[in-house]
Amino acid sequence: MISKTSIKAIALKEYKHITRDPFTMIIALVMPLILVLFFGFVVDLDYKHIKIDIQDNNNSQMSRRFIDILKSCQYFTINKVNSMLGIKSKINRNNTSAILIIEENFDRNIVKGNSGKIQLLLDGSDNAKAGILNGYLNGITSSANKIYSKQLNMQYPKELIRTRFLFNTELNSKWFTVPGLSTIVIGLIAIILTSLTIAKEWENGSMELLLSTPVKSIEIVIGKIIPYFILNMFSILMIFIISLLVFKIPFESSFFIYSIACVIYVTGALALGIFISVVTRQQQAAVQFAFAVGLLPSFLFSGFIFSIENMPSLFRYFTALFPQRWFMEISRTLFLSKTNLKVLLVPFLAIIIFAIFVIILANIKFKTDMEP
Amino acid sequence: MDNCISVNINKVTKVLLNTKALNNITTTFEEHIIHGIIGPNGAGKTTLIRIIASLLKADKGSVNYTLGNKKVSYIKSYLGYFPQEPSLYPDLSCQEHLEFFKALYRINDNDFNERCEQLYKVTNLTPFATRKTSSLSGGMYKKLGLMCVLLNRPKLLLLDEPTIGVDPLSRRELWDLVYNFAKNGMTVIMSTSYMDEAEQSNKIHVLNEGNLLVSGNPLEIMERYHLNKIEDIFLTMGTPKT
Repeated sequence: MISKTSIKAIALKEYKHITRDPFTMIIALVMPLILVLFFGFVVDLDYKHIKIDIQDNNNSQMSRRFIDILKSCQYFTINKVNSMLGIKSKINRNNTSAILIIEENFDRNIVKGNSGKIQLLLDGSDNAKAGILNGYLNGITSSANKIYSKQLNMQYPKELIRTRFLFNTELNSKWFTVPGLSTIVIGLIAIILTSLTIAKEWENGSMELLLSTPVKSIEIVIGKIIPYFILNMFSILMIFIISLLVFKIPFESSFFIYSIACVIYVTGALALGIFISVVTRQQQAAVQFAFAVGLLPSFLFSGFIFSIENMPSLFRYFTALFPQRWFMEISRTLFLSKTNLKVLLVPFLAIIIFAIFVIILANIKFKTDMEP
Repeated sequence: MDNCISVNINKVTKVLLNTKALNNITTTFEEHIIHGIIGPNGAGKTTLIRIIASLLKADKGSVNYTLGNKKVSYIKSYLGYFPQEPSLYPDLSCQEHLEFFKALYRINDNDFNERCEQLYKVTNLTPFATRKTSSLSGGMYKKLGLMCVLLNRPKLLLLDEPTIGVDPLSRRELWDLVYNFAKNGMTVIMSTSYMDEAEQSNKIHVLNEGNLLVSGNPLEIMERYHLNKIEDIFLTMGTPKT
């Protein structure tokens, strides 16, 4: 039977170690804030003042109005051209990112209730930039269409352009990156902190004394997790407040659901750190492992940088192994859309299964003897 | 006197990292007395102590514990184990260590207070109760380690080279401490490289290169093998062929 007294004693001892060690406190409380603030400001996927060449073949009131709308937003620097000569080499020399050609019958088509035809030539060499640029232009043409519909007394929504953005309507990349960054930072810090704790006991020899007492491995595992869990939840709260106040990210869903998700995710990450510590038994190796396990999947397989939908199917399935992928989905969905638990059932199940699995694994792998 | 544990080692062999650390060891550690496991470095002393503490498993052979007339299957509840390097937590005070081990050994408050008072008194560590272990002297550090172990009032006390790296005065104090507790119903098994300490044991078990050379009362052994000093046993017997 598990002894609550032993768990409490180990948790209390660990709490004392943490509070008396400034290094641990900095890693646990200050580093997540610095990382989120720093990367939150640095990682900016918004492109501004993108150079665009426009050739207006229609030269009507409507086409000029469209160009004015483009000019009025801060994304583009417009350069009107009269000829397409040398346009390819201009793109090659990075003198322009896109060329927009307004067709001759642009206004007539709109008046008839059809789409006003615009041809867009994009520099596809930077596909991320091209995708974002395309997104911006779709958003702008959509608002232009609204204006035209109003002008011509057309019944809206007779949509002339079908593109529409859900959730992040302002296309503000911060709204997307900050909840993602919190996933990475929270997970990484949790794994690193606990990866040291058991290895430290092995390295300084205190584990031998500990193992000669009637304490059970599961009591050590749980006792070690508890103080770090509290510490991590505190840093999550601070990151959450920063997301709302500094980055002005709206939080659309239930804070209660988000808290439950954090509890499960952090427990799994802490248990993973304990598992690394139990297996390596050396602090240096544990930290290296923790960085590899905590950092790489967070960036590569969580959907933070590379879209999971665009991965080959084998990798798509592979990403399912990493809790970061599921928590990323939970975090972004809860931040940016009004949703309920039902919608997030699969990600929730995934992080629950992961947490239970890692706790069991850490307990099984925990050596209660001195065998090499 | 309270019952305490006796240990029966039967044909125990242990291989560690391709080296035979113990080779077919058979011996008995009777209750109520102080046993000394002696031998040079690499003789297998720590391996044997760890096997008795159930921190290592014998590859071959068996270890049996008896308390009075009863067989004991789980030794850790009766055990006090003092490793060669009892690394305590440098940022915790003496009192915090005792409170930590109190919870691990599941000792109630009344017993804890009574035992703490007694242990502080005999170790003279009362003025240092709130001092962190990182600022204790070598002797005080070992005494605190022993206090943590003795807090459980173990029926079997295992000491792995407890006086190594300790000044002569602290060594004397540590031994007084062990003798005092051994009198009140405790089997003590300690390994040592110091032959003067071995001679103070009631029974010694002489190991060399994983083999048990001889076991018995130190004076009887010296008489039987016509030895002037107990360490001469290694010259007289060497390593028996197996």
